[in-house]
Amino acid sequence: MHFKRDDMVKYGTVLAIVIALAIPFLTDSMFILNLLVIMLIFIIFASAWNLLAFSGQGSLGHAAFFGIGAYASTLIAANSGMSPFITIFLGAAVAAFVGILIGLTCVRLKEWFLAMVTFGFAIIVQTLTVSVLAPVTGGWDGIASSRLLSPSIPGYQLIEYYAVLVITIASIAAIWYIMKTRIGLAFLAIRENELEARAAGIDPVRFRLLAFALSAYLAGVAGALQIHHIGYLTPELYGVDNSFWPVTYVILGGLGTLAGPIVGTIALTIIWEGLKATGLTFGRYVIVGVMLILAIIFLPRGLVSLPEQVKDWLKRRKRKEPVREPADN
Amino acid sequence: MDNLGVFLQIIFWGLYAGCIYILLATGLNLIFGVMKIVNFAHGEFLMIGAYITATIFFISGINPYLIILLSMLALIGIGAVVERFCFRPILGTGKLNEIFLSIGLIYIFQNGAAIIWTDEWQSVKSPYDGISLPFGSLSIPLDYILIMFFTAAIICGLYLFLKKTTIGMQMRATSQNRKGAMLVGIDVERIDVISFGLGCALAAAAGTLWIVSGQIFNPYMGSIPAIKAFAIIILGGLGSIPGAIIGGLLMGLAENGAAFLLGGIWKDAISFVILIIVLVVRPTGLFGEKGD
Repeated sequence: MHFKRDDMVKYGTVLAIVIALAIPFLTDSMFILNLLVIMLIFIIFASAWNLLAFSGQGSLGHAAFFGIGAYASTLIAANSGMSPFITIFLGAAVAAFVGILIGLTCVRLKEWFLAMVTFGFAIIVQTLTVSVLAPVTGGWDGIASSRLLSPSIPGYQLIEYYAVLVITIASIAAIWYIMKTRIGLAFLAIRENELEARAAGIDPVRFRLLAFALSAYLAGVAGALQIHHIGYLTPELYGVDNSFWPVTYVILGGLGTLAGPIVGTIALTIIWEGLKATGLTFGRYVIVGVMLILAIIFLPRGLVSLPEQVKDWLKRRKRKEPVREPADN
Repeated sequence: MDNLGVFLQIIFWGLYAGCIYILLATGLNLIFGVMKIVNFAHGEFLMIGAYITATIFFISGINPYLIILLSMLALIGIGAVVERFCFRPILGTGKLNEIFLSIGLIYIFQNGAAIIWTDEWQSVKSPYDGISLPFGSLSIPLDYILIMFFTAAIICGLYLFLKKTTIGMQMRATSQNRKGAMLVGIDVERIDVISFGLGCALAAAAGTLWIVSGQIFNPYMGSIPAIKAFAIIILGGLGSIPGAIIGGLLMGLAENGAAFLLGGIWKDAISFVILIIVLVVRPTGLFGEKGD
């Protein structure tokens, strides 16, 4: 095969979209369709997390933005009577606003500190939700959320799938565009060397905040979509699980790449559901944990780098085989 | 109860909770000092330590305060394995990797424990349950006093170990200057393993004392205390053990004060509110020098 890399990416993208469009025609199972919707939502969520990580900021509290988007959208929809398809983006704007606020406290912080503050922030938001804000949010019991589409519409699940698919593709396209423009280059420069970025005239604070806002916005969209899809929301949304999943997806898929969150989410969803079929409960998490650690140690650039790694390995093997093989064993 | 009584009660609760945090935070600090890594999964070692103590107690019935040593020894072993096979391969590959690796460890330990011991809440009954000593207008459970005593003893023991023994001195040397320590012939990788193991043993002690005092526990008990311990070492300054002790006590007091004034739900959140305020005002912590 003598494809150029760019061509491969182009054909891969087209193929992925075609498959995504065709899947509902290949299966009748509502279970699988539902699974796919959740998967798409988590692709948005993981991509949002990845965007922030792309600017060098690893958050451990993205569940906060996921949850804020969900709550804001639900409450706006309930009070104004607008369609969830509009409130999703309004709710996400609220998440983005909060993202800027939390970003302001984080701009001077790096690595562990940032991880700590974001993690703590998710807990603070959860506490607020169930205490001070309980009259509005329903406390621990949660509240009902209007559905994306009324279940009385025939084939509503199919329409919902395509709607979510469109939003997912639009989100990824937006991220692709951002990464390609000066903004993305600025993120990269700040991540690699903040001092040099500053010397080149990039204001790190402004771009850090921008990354926070964009990432929180997309996380908010994902949260709102999920909640309008399920039709119910509880403060569990702010849980540690929801903060850790995007990290796991992205690390497995490939940190800092556009395809990483997508590949990671799809691969892990398949593995996760496959393991469910074997009847494992806690064991599934143990396996995911082991996979995560193995990926960090042995495949630091994630699954997307796997073809390259294998090619490298084969090349090296071919070259060295006659000499090294006996000595190795 | 009068106001003074309530005040003293809060202080005692704070000191007692503070003891657990001191042990956890000191362990984290020890690991950070030597290896310059932060293990977010540190609380999982607290949990495993607690379960080991509980299991030995349920089987043998000996005084749980005596099992603490066994539990600490077991955790030195587990810690050494985790250091050798998880953290050592990624040392120096970027700080974000440590955080991500910790997430993997959290998944493994929490759910591994749930497989072995189920995820039901459990409790251990202290042999001194129900015994209280009078202290002014209130009575203090004997267990709390024992816990403070054990914490003090362990911290003093650690201090002597670091000051007087050869390994302790090597640890301090490595923490001050890793390259320099290598140059004078210290096997820093061995020191890494020992420090990590010791840090985990301190977490096991914290877990043991926590459950012996009658707190219920399950496999997810460790995450929140660990994150708080992390907040404490930021408060006290990374790598500073006196900072960890003072920070631990302050955190215990603040938390119980907040639980009393704002309601129990705020107990966890308040530590992060404090943390965020401190980080915004003074990013190097209250006692810390400038970090790297």
